[in-house]
Amino acid sequence: MNKIWLVIKHEYLKHVRKRRFILAILSLPIFIIFMIGIGFISGISQYNSAPVGFIDHSKLLSGATEYNAKPPISFLKPIVFKAFSDENDAKIALNQNEIQAYYVLEEDYFQTQKIQVVANKKPDSDVNKAFLTFLETSVLKDVPAKISSRIIEGASFEFKSTKENKQTNEDNILDFILPFISGFLFIMAVNISGSYLLQAVVEEKENRTMEIMVTSTSPTQLMTGKIIGNLSVGLTQLIVWILFGILGIAILFQLFPDLQKTHIDLSFLILTIAVFLPAFVMISAMMATLGATMTEEREAQQMAGIFSLPMVIPFWFIQVLMEKPNSPLSIFLSIFPFTAPISLPVRATFANIPLWQILLTILILILLTIASLWLAGKSFRLGMLRYGKKLSLKEIFTQRP
Amino acid sequence: MNTIEVRNISKSFGPQKALKDVSFDVKPGEIFGLLGPNGAGKTTSIRIILDIFKPDSGVVNVFGGEINENKKDLIGYLPEERGLYQDIPLEECLNYLASLKGLSVTESKNRINDFLIKFNLEEHKKKKVKELSKGMQQKAQLISTLVHDPQLIIIDEPFTALDPVNTQMVKDILREQRDLGKTIIMSTHQMHQVEELSDRIVLINQGESVLYGNLVEVQKKYAGHAIHIRTESHIPETFSGIKQIKKMENQSRFWIDLEPEVSFQEFLKSLMAANIVFDQFEIATPTLDEIFIQVVSQTGTNYE
Repeated sequence: MNKIWLVIKHEYLKHVRKRRFILAILSLPIFIIFMIGIGFISGISQYNSAPVGFIDHSKLLSGATEYNAKPPISFLKPIVFKAFSDENDAKIALNQNEIQAYYVLEEDYFQTQKIQVVANKKPDSDVNKAFLTFLETSVLKDVPAKISSRIIEGASFEFKSTKENKQTNEDNILDFILPFISGFLFIMAVNISGSYLLQAVVEEKENRTMEIMVTSTSPTQLMTGKIIGNLSVGLTQLIVWILFGILGIAILFQLFPDLQKTHIDLSFLILTIAVFLPAFVMISAMMATLGATMTEEREAQQMAGIFSLPMVIPFWFIQVLMEKPNSPLSIFLSIFPFTAPISLPVRATFANIPLWQILLTILILILLTIASLWLAGKSFRLGMLRYGKKLSLKEIFTQRP
Repeated sequence: MNTIEVRNISKSFGPQKALKDVSFDVKPGEIFGLLGPNGAGKTTSIRIILDIFKPDSGVVNVFGGEINENKKDLIGYLPEERGLYQDIPLEECLNYLASLKGLSVTESKNRINDFLIKFNLEEHKKKKVKELSKGMQQKAQLISTLVHDPQLIIIDEPFTALDPVNTQMVKDILREQRDLGKTIIMSTHQMHQVEELSDRIVLINQGESVLYGNLVEVQKKYAGHAIHIRTESHIPETFSGIKQIKKMENQSRFWIDLEPEVSFQEFLKSLMAANIVFDQFEIATPTLDEIFIQVVSQTGTNYE
């Protein structure tokens, strides 16, 4: 047991201490920060915080002289709406660039529904929206606050299918995005860990250290240590990314208060983890098997793609999974072990999946995981001392070590 | 109790029979020679002893029973396929391997330091293994074989690719270890190296044990009734007592097979009586190479 720990520690530190790993781990957050930064800068540069004037002939704004609009990003300066008594004053202010635009509310607004905007450059649609909110707030000022805010914010539509019996809130963007993000992260993590593992197994052969290793530990201990050690490397990377992600979301929530309505469903998380974990180990063990049969790292890396391919298949059928989550194809994709990790969570978002299907999926995954671990161990023992000669699948099943 | 008991082990790889019914014992505190030509099955025997391969039939006992994980810590193994982790510093590599043999962090650090100094590798310990020369890597590998002070040392072809200085160093280390009471198995096809070191030997050819026992007894058994002599004088073939005389390749050395009824003493006397001046007179002990050739030509072998 102690030796498994030593192998885990060695395999783990070997990767984590490398500069390459630190770069890899930082590349995604840096990329995301870069993208957000660009979006941010373009948002800020387009934002015009100059005041806006208005002339109220309709008396709907009930004599208000000033209104501060809520800025789209919380730290930006709010746009101030200023009352002008007549259009000439407003025009002069506009020409002197004191205001960016002015709105004219005619007496017959209720009949025409027309609001005139005068500006040198067409103002942002957000400014129009803010003026409308200002108008609505004024009109509804006698209505109780609860009701007025409900009217202004509008309704949120909840989708309830009679067939699928599953609710999805259109406002809850995370509901939609989460299965995709988690699926994407899963594929990333599997690929990272898998390729590390593949490397770790082939490396023993390339360095010819296999004999020393198996006369110091048992092949099972060595393999277990390698699998856990290298999976931990992938997990570390994943966790760091997720932490950055949470941090990013927290920042986004601060900056865009509108997003705060979203939430993450706990049962979804549990389901995702229940599928991801065995699938993670299964695919890694298969990669290790592959590594044990190969003799060169380069060759092994090329073969590793075999496992990535079926995992991304669900993304091709994403529309089917979303629109017809209970169609035979969707059910098949969510049960088939290679496509299950991506398909099942997506399906679960859009339909209530019968419990037996979930259990079946997880059961198949666990059984296959055990089988692949066994296979990895066996091919490891058989293939470990074969230098320059590949191990065939037939040999794995028929030969004794 | 014998350190190792190998009983009737056989092993096939597919259609190829690597070992057929091989048996031998290794006694505590001896240097045991596991001999044979290339491809005879020496490495396979070692791998079976170390539980890397399972035998098709037969039993191996190590330290009085089946090998287990704890016993592995008592064994130091220098495989024929030399290998160290190339991509990490030498010191780290050795420490990792030592920790797998059950040494604590401080213990392995101290011992490795001592060995590095002894083997003149101290200044290279921060270098990556792949930056070291072949000879240095060889020495480093020897450190990882010995660092945990094993009771049983198994070394496969220890002299391959070593220069004479390092060959001598390895021999000295082996003697030193034997004097410390360690049991050593040395596998090699370089028979002359074994003659200096081994107490007992087993000779394997084409997967079969063809010769087994105490080296001195084996040599005695295969010693004919012959002498080596070095002389500038001419010895006629008709000289009394000579059955056959052969000039050796180098210098003025002769190999003389005597008539069975003539003793070495009598022959020496008659040489002196005939006033033949000689520099050397020696009872011819067959070298292991000679014994080996004699044995395999009886059992038959295919040289590839």
